Amino acid sequence: MDMNEMILPMLILLPLVGAFLTLLMGGKRAKLAKLVALVFTVATFAVSLLLMITPVGELDKFNFTADWISAGGLKMSFIFVVDGLSILMVFLTAMLEVLVIAFSYKESDRPNYFYALLLAIEVGLMGVYLAADYFLFYIMWEVSLIPMYFLISWYGGPRRHYSAIKFFIYTHVASLVMLIGIFLMVFQAASINGVADFSFEAVKTALNGSPDSLFQSLVFILLFFGFAVKMPAVPFHTWLPDAHVEAPTAGSVLLAGVMLKMGSYGIIRVCLEALPEGAKYWQYVMIGMGILAMIYGAYACIAQRDLKKMVAYSSISHMGLVMVAMGTLSEIGIEFAIFQMFAHGLISAMLFLVCGTAGHNFGTREIPLMGGIAGKVPVYASFMMFAFMASLGLPGLIGFWGEFGIIAAFYQWIEPKDLIYLLVFCLLSLLLTAGYYLWAMQRTLFGRLTTKIDTDHIHDVDRVEAVVLGVLAFAIAIYGFWPDLALSYLADYSAYVGGLI
Amino acid sequence: MMFMDYVWLVPLIPVLCFVIVGFLGNKMGPKAAEGGFLVIIGTAASFVLSLLVTLEYVGFIGDGNLYPNAVENHIDWFKIGIYQLTFGYYIDILSCLMMLFASFISTMIFTYSLGYMHDQGPRQRRYFAEVALFLTGMLGLAVSSNLLEMFIFWEIMGLCSYLLIGFWSFNHPEGDDKADNAASAAKKAFLVTRLGDVCLMGGLFVLFFAMGGHLEYNVVFNADNLAAAYENNSEMLTLASLLIFGGVIGKSAQFPLLDWLPDAMAGPTTVSALIHAATMVKAGVYLVARCFPLFALDANVMLFVAVIGGFTAFFAASMAMNNMNIKKVLAYSTLSQLGYMFLSLGAGGYMMACSIAVTGGQIVIEEPELFAVGCLGYAAGCLHMVNHAFFKALLFLCSGSVIHANGTEDMRLMGGLHKKMPKTSITMLIGTMSIAGFPFFAGFFSKDLVLDVVFEVFEESCGTEEMIFIALWILGIVTAFMTAFYMFRMWFMTFMGEYRGHHCHGESPKSMTVPLMILSIFAFGAGFALLLGWDGVFTFMGSEHSEGQILQWIVGGWDRPNVGVHWLEELFTNWKTYVTIVLVFVAVAIAYLMYVKKSINPGKFSKDGQSVLYRTISNRYYFPELYNQFSWKLGYDVARGVEFIDRQIIDGSVNGLSNAVVGSGDLMSKAQDGNLHTYASVVLGGVVVLFVAALALFYYGGVF
Repeated sequence: MDMNEMILPMLILLPLVGAFLTLLMGGKRAKLAKLVALVFTVATFAVSLLLMITPVGELDKFNFTADWISAGGLKMSFIFVVDGLSILMVFLTAMLEVLVIAFSYKESDRPNYFYALLLAIEVGLMGVYLAADYFLFYIMWEVSLIPMYFLISWYGGPRRHYSAIKFFIYTHVASLVMLIGIFLMVFQAASINGVADFSFEAVKTALNGSPDSLFQSLVFILLFFGFAVKMPAVPFHTWLPDAHVEAPTAGSVLLAGVMLKMGSYGIIRVCLEALPEGAKYWQYVMIGMGILAMIYGAYACIAQRDLKKMVAYSSISHMGLVMVAMGTLSEIGIEFAIFQMFAHGLISAMLFLVCGTAGHNFGTREIPLMGGIAGKVPVYASFMMFAFMASLGLPGLIGFWGEFGIIAAFYQWIEPKDLIYLLVFCLLSLLLTAGYYLWAMQRTLFGRLTTKIDTDHIHDVDRVEAVVLGVLAFAIAIYGFWPDLALSYLADYSAYVGGLI
Repeated sequence: MMFMDYVWLVPLIPVLCFVIVGFLGNKMGPKAAEGGFLVIIGTAASFVLSLLVTLEYVGFIGDGNLYPNAVENHIDWFKIGIYQLTFGYYIDILSCLMMLFASFISTMIFTYSLGYMHDQGPRQRRYFAEVALFLTGMLGLAVSSNLLEMFIFWEIMGLCSYLLIGFWSFNHPEGDDKADNAASAAKKAFLVTRLGDVCLMGGLFVLFFAMGGHLEYNVVFNADNLAAAYENNSEMLTLASLLIFGGVIGKSAQFPLLDWLPDAMAGPTTVSALIHAATMVKAGVYLVARCFPLFALDANVMLFVAVIGGFTAFFAASMAMNNMNIKKVLAYSTLSQLGYMFLSLGAGGYMMACSIAVTGGQIVIEEPELFAVGCLGYAAGCLHMVNHAFFKALLFLCSGSVIHANGTEDMRLMGGLHKKMPKTSITMLIGTMSIAGFPFFAGFFSKDLVLDVVFEVFEESCGTEEMIFIALWILGIVTAFMTAFYMFRMWFMTFMGEYRGHHCHGESPKSMTVPLMILSIFAFGAGFALLLGWDGVFTFMGSEHSEGQILQWIVGGWDRPNVGVHWLEELFTNWKTYVTIVLVFVAVAIAYLMYVKKSINPGKFSKDGQSVLYRTISNRYYFPELYNQFSWKLGYDVARGVEFIDRQIIDGSVNGLSNAVVGSGDLMSKAQDGNLHTYASVVLGGVVVLFVAALALFYYGGVF
């Protein structure tokens, strides 16, 4: 077999093998667990780098196809594909895995399970982003869900069981609805093709070959619901803040950094690529939900007292931007939806690391209990400020370009429709975002030194934490200075999807 | 092309200083004044380079010719869809002016900071790193070749102002209350300017698509392109202009977004000097001057600019009249002087808008006389910006010297300092005379040119506009009177009479007084630059081919040789100039009688501070109150509502639903039993049932 074809399966097999090996490192060998986990995630990251340095036009040489189930008119296969849409997500997943495993090096409670769960999550995530067969896609979707459930319910905070079960039920109900949608879609395609081939390509070709708007709009909404809960879109979002508050830091980072993107990835990959007619039908709903999430999430942030919960709501607000971008169904919109997914992946990872550090190092994440700690923990304060500034869209950092491109796409969409006043909502959300972040900084870092926590014993970030945060900060800055480093992967793909619609 | 090719180094040097001092500074040791020397050398290098570039641009060195068009160079940055965005530099006389005064004044301020901040210990490193980044923002803004790039530097300045206003927002040397105050002032500065910035960003989108996906200066401000876009959809251009001006209102603290600037005095005085003189608020003036060809397409936009400027000039001056804080008086005077600049730009632009017409894809000048007045307004606004930079930097640094020696900002605790700190006193007097408009001082020339323009616009316009412009002229005259009064009130209260404080250290060290002396030379003499002539130096955007070079009119150089001298001549043969001079002297006399001779009791006019007007002014017209109420109601109260919906309605109904479905007990207790198996089996069963059902459906539907 060609070496290139083995690259993509490696991305899934490496963490899988790593997960099993880590699991074995119980008891006396617990100290080795993080080492093993680190080795396997670094190896995965190295493989993903190989994809990144390949010119985007040549990515199809990595395609992997193998038969799996082929019986009774059903055809399910192992198909792995990487393209402009998935490559950044794969890279992000691999990178964040390395960083969170390094960051949680202090984990002492059953470390073998902890790291194994993190690796298992990577298996699922990689699978979702690489799969090009609906059955495989669905399986991988579920695979990513289960270890996250255990991560929250075993390693979480005081209300972890409630949050874990809420997370599980929400996403599971959503994925069931999605499954119905997948079946309907595949069997509709089968009525055209003659065989129920689950591969993305077959379904897309069949459905786009003979567009049926009624069917497409019906199936679209089922799939869309499944993906939107994962994103999450208001009003299906309440599982997210609870899950984040209770999840361990590593779990939060992966959840916000890459898991939420599964939802928007699914919408682009499935809903827009295979069901363009449906997308046109539901376009206003997507835009409306996106704007709602943006404003609603931003307002909810203002009211939060827990730093981590505030950041969780900010994720809802920022994923609302992605929804708006996808809703424009334009080339720019899709390009920057993906870019924003990548940007938010980096930024939210940093945000959750910062909030997690507050919990570990100060013993609290409650904003009103802190104050004036910048003088005590200057390095931490700088990282926190950097992360907040990146998230509020400071030009020159990656978050700004996501917002800029999305609002440009949105403007391009509203301008011919005489709906320019809708621009106010986008601008309002930018303002509110700046508002809650600055207010939070004022109350945590600045002003008089708090007496509500023991400030003599709080400590600054240690060396490992500083390196991890520094790497993320560097990535945010470098992509912010030269966004073409990421955008160059997206141009062809977004033009292709824009062309479909 | 000699130095022009290296102009990108001008903003790059300060950013390198920032990186070195900010990230590696702890290895430099305390001897290097925590990185201060490096930053000063870097800034001075930037200044020298911008001076060389300017000299080359005006033809003093190099091949000896004035560049007819702006110098532009760029590289591809990235693409938005099909639209290519670029990153580059753009040099014309406006950029040169900005670079020159920003880097020169910053060099002075940073040198001064060595003395002013010497007792701050390791914090100096943070200070010097942040001011270097601040200067990067300003210089980058000046040389940017398109509006998006400009916006990035614009926001970098916003960030730095946040960091520097909040420099003492923790561990304040004077206690926790001041730290709280600084933290809140920094937040306010960032948020209020951010409100303007989102408007500006909206304006960029409107302009971007109205101009067919371009934001480069040489495309957007090209006369032919503007004419084409105007004929296509003029409303969009008007909207873009207004939104861009919204950003200017925030950044330059014009009415109604002016309240953050007085609060920003919570930062170190050197930072105030930097914000008020060399950077930040000047960016707004620059942006209006830069977008002049765009704004001038719609007379109403320019009228709006003029009205906002004229009103702010008066409004802010009124708040300075009774303030006791030496820095706050200067802060209000900045607002007021910025108002003059916008008044001048707006009035000139209004005239220009009236004099041109768009026909057949071309901008045609129908009345060259009016157009010339417009050009004069543009030049007067820019000149006042430069002059103001000199005297305001001087004034702030002097007040810093006073505060440094006395340990207070309250003028009631000063007095009689002339004997104790003569150098500060004399230099500050020069600055005060300059801003008040004493004849032959820098401020006099530009301020009277501004008033002259406004009066000419009044004479040329008619109807409602005529009334508006005469009102603006009267406001301008009255403001000039008020300015002279409150500035001399400040100087008299500080330096004359008896010392009322507790302790004064005496004159400040050399590193502080030498920059004061250098600046005072410019605060006095900058106005004489008019004698140089300036023929053909102030230019607008041109279009590529010679027939269409309509907006590329040379300000004033318009068929009159040696235009600067011509302006001077007009200034001194004009009765209006003498009116203002008289008013200024009267104001100074009143201030003298009130605060030195004490023959007039100022309390008489305010019922000893009890009159309604006095209290309204002291409370800044209740603006901070209004802001608080506004942000609290629209921000926090709505947020609480959202939180309620989230917790009670959405989550409440979901929990209720799940209880109804699962049956007994609430989700919480169920979950704590660890009853995952129940859920898992239900879910798994669901999958199987659905799968079978779907399969059956399609099977009987005859798919297979």
